[in-house]
Amino acid sequence: MATIITITSGKGGVGKTTTSASIASGLAMRGFKTAVIDFDVGLRNLDLIMGCERRVVYDFVNVIQGDANLHQALIKDKHADNLFVLPASQTRDKDALTEEGVEKVLKDLEHQGFDYIVCDSPAGIEHGAVMALTFADEAIVVTNPEVSSVRDSDRILGIIQSKSRRAVEGREPVKEHLLVTRYSPKRAHEGEMLTYTDIQELLRIPLLGVIPESEAVLHASNQGIPAIHQKDTPVADAYLDAIGRFLGETHPLRFVDHEKPGLLKRLFGGK
Amino acid sequence: MPRRREPRPAPALELKTTRLAGIQVILNSAEHAALATHISTLFAATPDFFGGEAAVFECGRLPSDAASPDWAWLAQELQSRGLNPFAVQNASPELAAAASRAGLLVLNAAAPAPVAAAPEPVPEPLPEPAAALVPQPAAPVPTRIIDKPLRSGQRVYAAGGDIVVLAAVNPGAEVIADGSIHVYAPLKGRALAGARGDVTARIFTTHLEAELVSIAGVYRTFDTALDATVAKKPAQIRLAAASQIVIEPL
Repeated sequence: MATIITITSGKGGVGKTTTSASIASGLAMRGFKTAVIDFDVGLRNLDLIMGCERRVVYDFVNVIQGDANLHQALIKDKHADNLFVLPASQTRDKDALTEEGVEKVLKDLEHQGFDYIVCDSPAGIEHGAVMALTFADEAIVVTNPEVSSVRDSDRILGIIQSKSRRAVEGREPVKEHLLVTRYSPKRAHEGEMLTYTDIQELLRIPLLGVIPESEAVLHASNQGIPAIHQKDTPVADAYLDAIGRFLGETHPLRFVDHEKPGLLKRLFGGK
Repeated sequence: MPRRREPRPAPALELKTTRLAGIQVILNSAEHAALATHISTLFAATPDFFGGEAAVFECGRLPSDAASPDWAWLAQELQSRGLNPFAVQNASPELAAAASRAGLLVLNAAAPAPVAAAPEPVPEPLPEPAAALVPQPAAPVPTRIIDKPLRSGQRVYAAGGDIVVLAAVNPGAEVIADGSIHVYAPLKGRALAGARGDVTARIFTTHLEAELVSIAGVYRTFDTALDATVAKKPAQIRLAAASQIVIEPL
């Protein structure tokens, strides 16, 4: 049985694609055969973040419409062995995603022995986002520590609870996880940002992890290497912890407490 | 030694009259296309407005020579939108016969009694609390109880009665009741009590942080900060004599 994980947020620019790339890579690094699908038809980005944009020949819409088979469209990732990318089409719009088409592609991936299928949702609550969450078994809701992002996450949780197949068919509900990204302990401490406990209090779903704000993410995107591969950076460690928690392990939260810089640090600077 | 009287065991079955709250679906046309278009536009914005209320098709306005609508389809369409149609009333004999074949009961306006006695033939997707079956002469409409957080964009409506919410009402969510609203958790969204004009309806919450409250159409928003005695604290909201919203600590 393949587990379908939807990475969603409602709001744009909060780090869904960065998270999809890192979560999919992290699962593959743990030995699971993983596929990551870009549902953002028309605004394709995942291929850039994964650094496979020059190898895109066929895409998700080609497979749905029968112009190519899955085997032709899946791109093997350069950095992790068990990872395959199914890119979005840049030249179509989201109406090209039909429920039957998406379901068939997901079924086919399951038959090919994939353990995890990560769906990178587009922003918004329209057709594309709904298609990305319809078949979800688990959902990772990516939220930034600011009110508009939290409200949009709340909205998308409501949509998961009403429009997902599991909800419509009255099966066990989609398992929801909260992932707070772009978190700055210093700004949260000073009251400029919501704290992760504020966010969790409002959304009331289990916390999967807190990813700190970091330049390493921008660096990773520009290089086309998922942030989880930026060894020994707080971002990569936070994603690795999140993967562990997703798989049922216990890891204490890191990178959430603000330490006042000591005198020496203040005198001599340093990052 | 005084002998204690054994309480009489409750009988396994009791019969009492009850009035069911329901929705009348008044048919002005029996044409498939017209019905289909209107149903989809009517429910487009608020697909979860109803939560399994019983419904009756009122056929009195249909022309006497109207062909029978596709009852099974019509019932199915409304069921998928949270209504449970189970009967037709004031139908011509032909319409009634077709409705009966589709599994609907046939009622006459003059004899409403079967409404109470009739078992619902339609399986309820979301069974309401069994309160309706318990003899409760004073409360004909069961209180609606919500135990999951209401999230931004979600809306619940308790037709004809009160609503009790046991989880948070988040910003952007809306709770509406014809009666009073009780929220035993943070109320951060909108709460509209007395939606059909009941000025005695009230709103109660253990944590008042609402975006808007309204009683019988008189509303208040909270652009200016709430009084410290009620902000984020237990509070009651009611309507005073001069149609003024009053907010008091509990």
